[in-house]
Amino acid sequence: MNFIALKMLFGDRTKYAGLLFGIAFTSFLVTFAASYFGGMMTRSFALIAENPMADVWVMDPAVVAVDRPINLPTSALDRVRSVEGVQSAVPLALAQADVRFPNGRFQSFQVIGVDDATLTGVPLMKDGATASVLRSPDAVIFDPGGTSGKLQTPLLKADQWPRGRPHLDVAMRPLIAGDELLINDTRVRVAGQSEALPRFPPRPLLFTTYSTAERILLPERRRLTFVLVTAAPGVDAHTLAARIETVTDLHARASDDFKADTVKWMIANSEDVGDAVTMLSIAVIVGFGVTGVMMFMFTTENLKYYAVLNAMGTTTRSLLMMICAQAALCALLGTGLGLGLCALAGRIFVSYDFPYRMMWFAPVVGGTAVMLVSIGAAAFSVRPLLKMQPASFLAGR
Amino acid sequence: MENLLEPTKNLTAVNCRGVTKTYGQGNAAVQALRGVDLEVRMGELLMLVGPSGCGKTTLISVLAGLLQRDGGDCSVLNHDYKQTSVNETTQFRGRNIGFVFQTFNLIPALTAAENVATPLLINGVKRRVALEQADAVLKKVGFDDRMTTSLPKDLSGGQQQRVAIARAMVHDPRMIVCDEPTSALDSESGHMVMTLMRQFALGKDRVLVVVTHDERIFEFADRIARMEDGRITRIENPPRCAKEPQQNP
Repeated sequence: MNFIALKMLFGDRTKYAGLLFGIAFTSFLVTFAASYFGGMMTRSFALIAENPMADVWVMDPAVVAVDRPINLPTSALDRVRSVEGVQSAVPLALAQADVRFPNGRFQSFQVIGVDDATLTGVPLMKDGATASVLRSPDAVIFDPGGTSGKLQTPLLKADQWPRGRPHLDVAMRPLIAGDELLINDTRVRVAGQSEALPRFPPRPLLFTTYSTAERILLPERRRLTFVLVTAAPGVDAHTLAARIETVTDLHARASDDFKADTVKWMIANSEDVGDAVTMLSIAVIVGFGVTGVMMFMFTTENLKYYAVLNAMGTTTRSLLMMICAQAALCALLGTGLGLGLCALAGRIFVSYDFPYRMMWFAPVVGGTAVMLVSIGAAAFSVRPLLKMQPASFLAGR
Repeated sequence: MENLLEPTKNLTAVNCRGVTKTYGQGNAAVQALRGVDLEVRMGELLMLVGPSGCGKTTLISVLAGLLQRDGGDCSVLNHDYKQTSVNETTQFRGRNIGFVFQTFNLIPALTAAENVATPLLINGVKRRVALEQADAVLKKVGFDDRMTTSLPKDLSGGQQQRVAIARAMVHDPRMIVCDEPTSALDSESGHMVMTLMRQFALGKDRVLVVVTHDERIFEFADRIARMEDGRITRIENPPRCAKEPQQNP
């Protein structure tokens, strides 16, 4: 009977196309929203991801996510280094700073102070440069951090470091090595640009050494934000994190756990999560609207033929199975179309540096939404079938 | 009134006594059947005639198990629908009853052969076998290879009704129920359809019940039952008999 069901479906090309569109739309939008959400969440723990040598992150016990730093006393570094199983431990400082550009414009940056000796924490550099450029006095490395158009400096010398009012509406060019910036009245020299992972929320980044960071940032009693620990060979990161917590009374998390903590915090606190959920809801509602109405119309218009089939001996169960087969085929094809479109759109979005990442759960979420929509549409459309009286069709009424 | 329950000479296909059926409730209730007595024998073509609203379609719906009677006794092919579940009734219908509808009711997305194969598919016959059998039956009713693969919209009214007849008899049912099978056809097509029905759908172990207004086809009946106000008022013989098998058109 599925043969008849599918031929009936293919026979009505307009509604078949409508059903496919509804389901493909749902699949596309839900998978896209989930992938965008995945991209945002991945970017939220970019700092952890770009420091793969850190097996364990040690922080103040009140810290719950990588972007919610509370600084530690400097002595924490030595306490961590003394724990058995720690191969090396380096400091990392995080802070916000308003940086003045040569034309007088201010831009907020996240300043990341890395270990002076090892420069651990500096991402890959652009144009073949190395992190060692930070060893020059007052050197900083900049990174857009997922932003665009925020790191512009005046093209002409005449517009740089003007007296009086800032020169805002002047010809600009991108920041390059050799340019100078002002942080808390301290002049720093741009030594290069990095290729750090984009952040979520996006923000420009300035990498410098820990000692330079201490000098250029506003004075605070505590400057150390994280201690990045590399475990000794054969030592499990989770075991080491637990041991560090016991010995130092600090909060220590294995890298993967810290990523998960950050994502959980983002899900619980970020307003963008609400936006993603809204997008998902709209996708499901619209998808159900289109698919449900099309399926209902298809069933209603074919009710006469279902009645004929019933009169000829097709049981109600078989008729329901026919509708399920039609919905299942549309769901399968629509999901495939939606996922394909999503992958295509993803490639385009990624090329424009949007936070898009199709992780394993995105197609699962898309597939689940399609399943719900298809089941809903099928259930919605079987109602007239269940109420149908085959006898009323006998005389063509 | 004459005795409507004639002595049974052959095997009885349908035996109904005092069948009643009411639609709706209270003030809106309409009594469609008011105690119908009817006996139809195997090998017989019975026509049910009468004015619109007299209960003809309701009666054949009850005979076909599409409607449940409210009262009376009714045995169709030794089967009482009241004794079986809805599913069992549907399956009984699938095996034993064929339908020819006034408006053909062919499934537009299926070819002529696929439409004819439908009752076989419903009864679990493999698709390839079903289509082969359907082709054979269509050839019997005058279709060629090209026409068997045509969609209903590409066929004339007479051709569509021939497909409907082929569909009604492809699974060799013991009873075929027809509701106004010639009302949408011209005189020539109507005669051809009834000839086919007599030729292929009627046999010693089969019975045909035809509801019609069309006096042009009365001659094909063995007996004509006249209905009025939900009752069979008279059973008579046809004006002229056209029972002999005719040439396949």
